[in-house]
Amino acid sequence: MVLAVPVTVKELWHERRSAPFEIALNDVSVSYAVAAAGRKTVLSKLNLEICAGEFVAVLGETGCGKSTLLRLVLGQEFPTSGSIVVDGKLVTRIDSRCGYVPQKYSLFPDRTMIQNVMYGPENAFCGWLDRLLPSYRKFKRRLRSEAEDQLLRMGLRAADLNKYPHQLSGGMQQRVAIAQALMMRPPVLLMDEAFSALDPSTRASLQEQLLKIWREIQPTVLFVTHNTSEALLLGTRLIVLCPHCEDSEESNVLLDMQLPRSSDTIAVRKQSREFQELREFVKHRAYGSSSRQDEYQPVPGLDGRRDSL
Amino acid sequence: MSSVPIIRHFADIQGRPRRLWTQSLSWVLFLIGIFTYTQFSIIRHKENPEDRVIPSGAQLWQGIKASVLEPAEEDDALDPGASTLQRVTHSMLWKDTVSSSRRFFIAIALLIPAILIGLHMAVFPYAEAFFLRFILFFDKIVALSLLPILFIVFGIDEWSKIMLMVIGVGPTLMLDTYNTAKSVPREQVVKAFTLKSTNLDVAYRVVLKQILPQVINSVRLNLKPLALFLFAGEMIASTDGLAYRIAIMRRHMGMDIIIPYLLWVAVLLFGMDALLRVANRRLHPWF
Repeated sequence: MVLAVPVTVKELWHERRSAPFEIALNDVSVSYAVAAAGRKTVLSKLNLEICAGEFVAVLGETGCGKSTLLRLVLGQEFPTSGSIVVDGKLVTRIDSRCGYVPQKYSLFPDRTMIQNVMYGPENAFCGWLDRLLPSYRKFKRRLRSEAEDQLLRMGLRAADLNKYPHQLSGGMQQRVAIAQALMMRPPVLLMDEAFSALDPSTRASLQEQLLKIWREIQPTVLFVTHNTSEALLLGTRLIVLCPHCEDSEESNVLLDMQLPRSSDTIAVRKQSREFQELREFVKHRAYGSSSRQDEYQPVPGLDGRRDSL
Repeated sequence: MSSVPIIRHFADIQGRPRRLWTQSLSWVLFLIGIFTYTQFSIIRHKENPEDRVIPSGAQLWQGIKASVLEPAEEDDALDPGASTLQRVTHSMLWKDTVSSSRRFFIAIALLIPAILIGLHMAVFPYAEAFFLRFILFFDKIVALSLLPILFIVFGIDEWSKIMLMVIGVGPTLMLDTYNTAKSVPREQVVKAFTLKSTNLDVAYRVVLKQILPQVINSVRLNLKPLALFLFAGEMIASTDGLAYRIAIMRRHMGMDIIIPYLLWVAVLLFGMDALLRVANRRLHPWF
């Protein structure tokens, strides 16, 4: 009977809010049968520990298992061997405590923007019977105003809030998808190439907003991307999945480094020499270019960087 | 060929007919049909003015009047001073329409669980394992071949005809709903779970809501098979209904009644289809 108490949705979240979760992958391997080639191994004996509140960017070329890694943590897929533990609990089914922003199909096409954003909190705080109570209307009004705030913060116009997803551009849809996930204040946020379909300016603005929100509610973020700059800009840690490397746990996590987080703006950070050099190095590792990894010389002053190889 | 302008237009994929052309072209086949019928009727009536195989316009009009304003044979004659409304509601066509519609709508109501079974099969893996193979097999049984069994089980009154429609269309509707629900992207289901949806929320508030317009379209497409099974049942064993009347009139070569009845059935189905189409558009503006 949550609705009987006249509080705001924010207060309701505050009551239920939990600390960000730790994620651990232990000897995780994923392989599947391929008609011609026997079995294809996507991930091989991956060991990974993600601390609570970390912003982990996952990078690698197509088919290296980035999205699989995300789906494993979410509980949408299961490893062939090994185990995944989120907040001390073995993942055995889709974890409703995780927020999820897929690359596409992220919004319900039968709901308007505002209804999409309201859907989660409505489920979280109202059972089917609660919706029959008179206080439900009041709750819904409050929820609507908070959902509007959230959407406006994401840079959407008030005029677009009652439009259906098919009436808006891909960038706007993705903003709503992020707002939809963030309305749930998830302790774990999983983003699967969430910005890949966006134009550069929308992308940059969403990156800023995502960082701001991450600082504000501090969830554990697993952010899959193809974009090296994006990974370096956003992540507190970077994981590069490398399909070229033979097995062994190190081969999957090539680079595992703590990036210095400061109040620098993204633009300033992007222009620094350290950033440029790091980007080149990660590119070579992730996408297997002709450059050899040992050509990279650590940049003095990047404290906390830790190469796991 | 391409020198004939109209043929050139018909063969042009990128052609954009104007509104007037679209309207005019859509009536051409109707006009050709009426013209052909009239010509054949005139030819036959020249040979035999009493011909009943292709009734003339006047004969058809008499037939329509008799169907719409005169009571069925089995009813008592109406008071000569009865109003037009009373005459219509006691007429043969009205009574047959009511009888057939009652069966038709009961069958549609009984088909709602078929839609829900299809939905559950697509969403819940255990329901899929339980139902799918059987329904795929059952769908292949020709429903009309079950008619004798239905007559034995349900008798020859209403329920055998209704069950024939349900059994005839149910499995198709189930499989259609199943396929449509299966085509909802997996991401949507996963996303719904991360937004604290329960299993029932996912099934009814996410998947069913998304597939409802397609399910309604599927029902639209199945209106004709439904009518077909209804007609089969009524023609074999019935004492009233549109198909019953057509079967009776066939014995008397009553084409002046049969043709209006056929057109009336087509109009009813066309109207129902149009109603569902409009409702679909209004209820699901996002579709």
